[in-house]
Amino acid sequence: MRLPFERTIVIALLAGLSGAAAHAQTQKFASTKHSPNAAPAAMVKTDTIPVTTKSAEARRAYQMGITNFADLLMLDAGLDYFRQAVKDDPRFALGHAMLGFSTFDPREGERERALANKYAALASPDERLLIRWLNGTKNGQLVPAIAAMNDLLGKYPNDTEFANTVAGWLCSNEQAYDRGADLLERLLKRHPEFVPAVNNLAYCYALGGRASLSPPLMDRYVAAMPDQPNPQDSYGEISRMMGNFPAALEHYRAALKISPDFTSSQVGIASTYALMGDESNARTEYVKAIAMAKDPATIMNYRLLWAMTYFRESDIESGRKAYLEVAAEAHHKGFGVQEAEAHRTMALFNPDPKSALRDLDSARGVLAEKHVYAPGDRDSELATILQTRTYIAVRAGMPEVAKAALAPLSNMARTSRSNIVQQAYHSANGAVLVSQRLYADSISEFLDDPRGPFSLQLLAEAETKAGEPSAGHEILVRLAGINDERVETAFAVPQARAALKAGAPAAVQPSGTPEPAAAPAAAPAPAAQPIAAPATVSFSGRPRGGPLD
Amino acid sequence: MVVTVAAAAYATNFAVIVHPSNAVQGMSLVELGKIFKGKSPIWPTGRNITLVLREPSQPTMKFVIEKVMGVSVEEGKAALTDTSRKSSSPVVFVPADEDVVKAVEGSPGALGIVDVYNITSGVKVIKIDDKQPFDPGYTLKGH
Repeated sequence: MRLPFERTIVIALLAGLSGAAAHAQTQKFASTKHSPNAAPAAMVKTDTIPVTTKSAEARRAYQMGITNFADLLMLDAGLDYFRQAVKDDPRFALGHAMLGFSTFDPREGERERALANKYAALASPDERLLIRWLNGTKNGQLVPAIAAMNDLLGKYPNDTEFANTVAGWLCSNEQAYDRGADLLERLLKRHPEFVPAVNNLAYCYALGGRASLSPPLMDRYVAAMPDQPNPQDSYGEISRMMGNFPAALEHYRAALKISPDFTSSQVGIASTYALMGDESNARTEYVKAIAMAKDPATIMNYRLLWAMTYFRESDIESGRKAYLEVAAEAHHKGFGVQEAEAHRTMALFNPDPKSALRDLDSARGVLAEKHVYAPGDRDSELATILQTRTYIAVRAGMPEVAKAALAPLSNMARTSRSNIVQQAYHSANGAVLVSQRLYADSISEFLDDPRGPFSLQLLAEAETKAGEPSAGHEILVRLAGINDERVETAFAVPQARAALKAGAPAAVQPSGTPEPAAAPAAAPAPAAQPIAAPATVSFSGRPRGGPLD
Repeated sequence: MVVTVAAAAYATNFAVIVHPSNAVQGMSLVELGKIFKGKSPIWPTGRNITLVLREPSQPTMKFVIEKVMGVSVEEGKAALTDTSRKSSSPVVFVPADEDVVKAVEGSPGALGIVDVYNITSGVKVIKIDDKQPFDPGYTLKGH
């Protein structure tokens, strides 16, 4: 997902900011409405959050970072600008915080958050609130972070960039879809011309269960920015989420026609082919995306998606070979989570449960090695590994193994605030309850993981066996309607679609190999309400955080 | 273009909020229930507690009433609107979370409940059963 911005306005904005920066230490936060002839900072209306740096170069780089990262979603370029900003002014607290918030490199994030805190005293009071929010979203201090966020939203109702970034966070990270949509609806009432918010609103609707409201917004977005690639890219992703693959391909190609180096659309094409079941074409397109990407973590994530194509077509041997290759590369480059994720994926698609458990041992072993992780990333991956272990064991009829995996996950859940850890625990606990035939008890557990394919699959079974077959069927339809790149989706969704096609009651499949994906077809896939649709996989193979992307 | 079904239900973390000058840091769910029922109408300082809530008929209040008061929505609504509690433990109903926050910001004796994503620095979030929103096992997290 990408946000639009007129290139001419970017140039104009630069001109205005560079002029203003020469006059004052405190310049206003990015606003799309600054004109080329923007007044010096002292004369600028105080309707955007201040940005404090003594360096005009740092300010300009920061502004370009915001424009590229948040508006254009030229992510690599945006990150490079943020890096340049803190290089130009090493004591630029907000620059450090924004880089720490935006980067995909956990080591960089940790370092930048520490530097933001170190130099926060040099920033203005409202910037310190912004730093508290940016840092708090990453280090688990969510209550004070949210308070700071709402203080700023109240004080700067016309800071379109900030409101849009907040809404993106609410919808992409927090599953707070209604709050995010409400914020954007209000923003667009005041600033209907701010089309990046149109884009985010479409995603908030789609992810939050109101997908039918999204296409008109996408039409508006594309019409407003006909020369920008991001509207077409976003339309492609929304179309894919809704199961309309031909439309998705058409929009992604349109985006690449406008901007041939728009990596997001390239990987969008690849993943669309993958979801269509055309894995050969998907691999070809993933290779192109990998060649286009610059960020090392992004490249590793694309490599994982590439390897997944073999499992999608049930070529277990080639899949394992590909994943071992990616795992070795991740190990060499120090990406511990991606390496663990490669082993976890191999486990999930391993038809031999005992061998699968050994794969999971390898995954867990990676996390014990000396790697640098963002706060929470290691725990998130470990929780996901333990959840997968429980799931595999329950499916394989190994209740003692499942309970043994649940125990450490339960301990983690007692102290972790992470959504991923909590959802992994509830899903795994539900799986164990299903294995004990405590179906009614399991249902409330699965409801705490409403986007998880494992949970939805087992919930469908639990509802059916608890005497609610229509509820079970409805859940199965919801699962079958998911079109995203997650490993769990690739595993569970084909089974759900096969079950629906066969008219079978919802039940856990006994083997570890999913039904092959449907053959390439022009017709849309069975589509229900989209539940999650990451543009890329995250460090933990889940929808990536940060602004909607 | 697409077939849609009911959206997944997402859990809400409800924050119990008081005025920042209030020295209370937390309370048990049982104590909170007594406040809701009008059986514990004052703060330790002797100040009356004014309960500020969204309209009980709103969907988000169902979980709160059932969890905090341990009764059905209808029974809870009856207890909250009981005219006999007007002076000693008043309850103020407002349309939206931001109205709850504003009311608590402006009233040292107020206690409100809102979706945690709506809090500001103008209110203090207190712990319930020693936990705050997002803590594992936080009791006021529900669908």
